Amino acid sequence: MKIKEDSYMYEMIRTELTDVVGNENVDTKFADKFGHSIDYYWIPEMWHDRGRPCPKPDFVVHPKTTAEVARIMKIANQYKIPVVPWGGGSGSQGGALPIYNGIVLDMKRMNRIVKIDKQALTVTAQTGIITKHLEWGCNKAGLSTMHLPASIACSTIGGFLAHRGTGVLSTKYGKIEDMVMSLEVVTPTGEIIRTLPVPRHASGPDLTMLFLGSEGTLGVITEVTLKVHPQPESRQFRAYIFKDFHTAMQAGQTLMRSRLQPCAMRLYDETETKTHVSKVFGIDLDKGAYLVFGFDGRKDIVDLQMKHAREIMEGEFKGKDLGSKGGEWWWENKYKFFYPGYMFHVPQAFGTLDTVADFSHIENVYWAMKKVVNTEFPDARFIGHFSHWYDWGCMLYARFIFPGDKVPPNAEEAAALYNAVWDKAIRAAIREGGVINEHHGVGLKLGRYMKDLYGKAMPVLEGIKQKLDPNGIMNPGKMGLAGC
Amino acid sequence: MHIDKFEEAMMNCRFCFMCRHLSTIGQVRGTEVDTPRIRAAMLYGLRTGTNSFDDSDFVEALYRQELSACCVHHCVNHYDENGLALAARADVVEAGKAPEKVQKLAKKYGKSAFTAKGKGDLAYFLDATTAADKDVVASVKRLFAAAKATPVIIEGGSIGKALKVLGYLPEAKAAAEAFAAFLAEKGVKTLVVSNPAAFDALTRDYPAFGVKLPCKVLCLSSYLLQAKVAFKKPAGEVYYLADDFMRNYDGCECPEKLLKALKATNLPFGTNDEESYCCGEGAVVFDELNPALVKELAAYVAERADHPKTDRIVVLSAYTKKVLKKYGKLDVVTMDELAAACL
Ligand SMILES: Cc1cc2nc3c(=O)[nH]c(=O)nc-3n(C[C@H](O)[C@H](O)[C@H](O)COP(=O)(O)OP(=O)(O)OC[C@H]3O[C@@H](n4cnc5c(N)ncnc54)[C@H](O)[C@@H]3O)c2cc1C
Ligand code: SF4
Repeated sequence: MKIKEDSYMYEMIRTELTDVVGNENVDTKFADKFGHSIDYYWIPEMWHDRGRPCPKPDFVVHPKTTAEVARIMKIANQYKIPVVPWGGGSGSQGGALPIYNGIVLDMKRMNRIVKIDKQALTVTAQTGIITKHLEWGCNKAGLSTMHLPASIACSTIGGFLAHRGTGVLSTKYGKIEDMVMSLEVVTPTGEIIRTLPVPRHASGPDLTMLFLGSEGTLGVITEVTLKVHPQPESRQFRAYIFKDFHTAMQAGQTLMRSRLQPCAMRLYDETETKTHVSKVFGIDLDKGAYLVFGFDGRKDIVDLQMKHAREIMEGEFKGKDLGSKGGEWWWENKYKFFYPGYMFHVPQAFGTLDTVADFSHIENVYWAMKKVVNTEFPDARFIGHFSHWYDWGCMLYARFIFPGDKVPPNAEEAAALYNAVWDKAIRAAIREGGVINEHHGVGLKLGRYMKDLYGKAMPVLEGIKQKLDPNGIMNPGKMGLAGC
Repeated sequence: MHIDKFEEAMMNCRFCFMCRHLSTIGQVRGTEVDTPRIRAAMLYGLRTGTNSFDDSDFVEALYRQELSACCVHHCVNHYDENGLALAARADVVEAGKAPEKVQKLAKKYGKSAFTAKGKGDLAYFLDATTAADKDVVASVKRLFAAAKATPVIIEGGSIGKALKVLGYLPEAKAAAEAFAAFLAEKGVKTLVVSNPAAFDALTRDYPAFGVKLPCKVLCLSSYLLQAKVAFKKPAGEVYYLADDFMRNYDGCECPEKLLKALKATNLPFGTNDEESYCCGEGAVVFDELNPALVKELAAYVAERADHPKTDRIVVLSAYTKKVLKKYGKLDVVTMDELAAACL
């Protein structure tokens, strides 16, 4: 829906919105709208690069309180205007893009830490807070959320809740959904609700989990209570080079099956080790696959776990020990991977084929995706690393990259090429038992696979959406749900 | 266009999110447009026609940047997104699209009539902002007395920094040439300054303009250290707020060295020393250009103080002292005042 800017209705709605948040917090200027037309999804970035305009919101509204969000939702419902929550716009799936115009609800003024409870070890915060600021606030109290994603500097905690995001310490502390105690949500019709205060209960299905990962399609998450942790007495890393990725994968799996409890583990395939890890660390890791892991907590326990982990790595799997220094390289440079010069950027075409599978399937998923990219798209490179490890399996952060000169200059053709890679690679992954995806979410990019993925459960999801959002105004057209 | 000289910053920042947490204006306004990413994307859009300086909101956004250079300092590649913004302002001015308030300020800072009081080849440049703070001026006098020096005091106007920041490059260069000629005429061999913006103009802008100074330039901290001024009383516990110019623009480390000489215990301010606690100092005349925003920036800093009423905060510039005291209601002194109190 597009409200004509020169119509009196535009001004009527703007007036109502300003009544809620004040004139200065309703942006209708071109520059502000432009700022909300591109997120981290490659398609709008490329579209902009080619000089093509991207869909823009009619209004960018900056609420400060939950009550304001509720009032905005009621106005939007009355006029049936789409509402898209926007955190930091760092999502890679196009989830926050206002594809049907309407209202973009920029959450970043809702950035208060409401309370740090040192007895229960929890923090309650408004969800528009930039994750790094939340972490710094907790650090000041001697605590940590232990949620340390690569986009910590730019994403809001609300964005992570909406996408079921994750950070580098996920293996011990979990993904965001493992960290949540409870949520406050404004429903699409403007009701303010709270989920139960604790995550472990037997009082019916867990509404907290319903909203986690809902990507702004079921409501606006306005406040969250998260678990926090004391800063560990010790945190140690160690890295190894294995002769090939398969051996490293076996070593990693064995470590996880041993039920030692690493806080992080990451395994880079041979290509990524050589081209990427070497570049970021500034050293030459020419051959083999780089695997790093770490433990944290009480020093005596960390020492003991590290001793056993070393036995696994160095025994049967004959990993070449890069020592604790080799592990520190990674920890110290963990965010550097994402700066320009180390990360891929338009005019290259690139995508993260984020897939998760259990240990019985994950290698096959890797090989299947690699084969598709290598054989069907010979201009593209394929690299992969395994970022987040669990007792049962791990996440594959595979990427395809086309050099800029191999990407068609025509925007439509470039988009078609890009979508073709996704179609083939994702379907190959699903065939091998992979689930798309582990932490980036669905958004616009992967919506078309949701019916394949959910099968007969898709109408259940659609029914929930219909019940909560009868006018279909919350982030329409995302996550495979209806547009407007 | 001037922005073409900052191609690297424009092409990389336009899709980069990594310094978002330090985009101070974006942080206090909760906006996207006030971030390096969107600014760079809009500037790139000039090439493809998606954006234009005819859009006054875009131009307004360029003049809203606080120019702290926190992002440049933080960036692993140190891409000069600050330089990009300055270049964009120069392009705006050349295109005749400068907003009226910018034009007015440029007129104001275009005028200068330097005066020199005293004799000798050692001079102190008393810029207008510092001159307006009587306590700072008195402290500077005491410090020179302790160093047994009687510098020539040069006053009387703009040396080009404000003009440069507003995008008036030829005028800024002309002001720099006029100041250099004045110093030569007065036979100045050593010029001392307190104001970090002036220090930055003299040590970085002037060489970039190709203007040669007849003298060496020292910040007051470094002058006091070189003069081996004796400080008898320890400064005690302070929170030193790293300066936009001295930290982010590759200025000098003298302030930190002076703090040591003053036996100050420098406590960590706020949540983290990576955080931006800037109030628009880098944009030099920001309090005149965007007073409402300066108020918000100061409030942001004040919110992060441990004990806002009692913490002794030390800053380098009289500008930052002024706005933090006025809007943040904090107990702020400049480094010069702190040093004078230790004599
Ligand atoms: C350099 C870089 C590195 C990254 N690394 C990681 C990583 O390590 N781990 C990871 O998980 N992701 C990572 N990402 C992806 C991205 O940061 C995450 O998806 C993040 O959760 C997005 O948060 P955001 O605040 O930017 O959300 P946005 O992009 O603004 O929005 C994402 C989705 O959430 C919805 N939404 C936002 N706020 C709310 C709310 N309060 N209530 C309801 N819905 C809401 C939006 O409508 C949209 O659908 C990375 C991205 C970048 C650019
Ligand atoms: S300055 Fe560096 S970190 Fe900031 S947006 Fe530009 S490239 Fe990214």
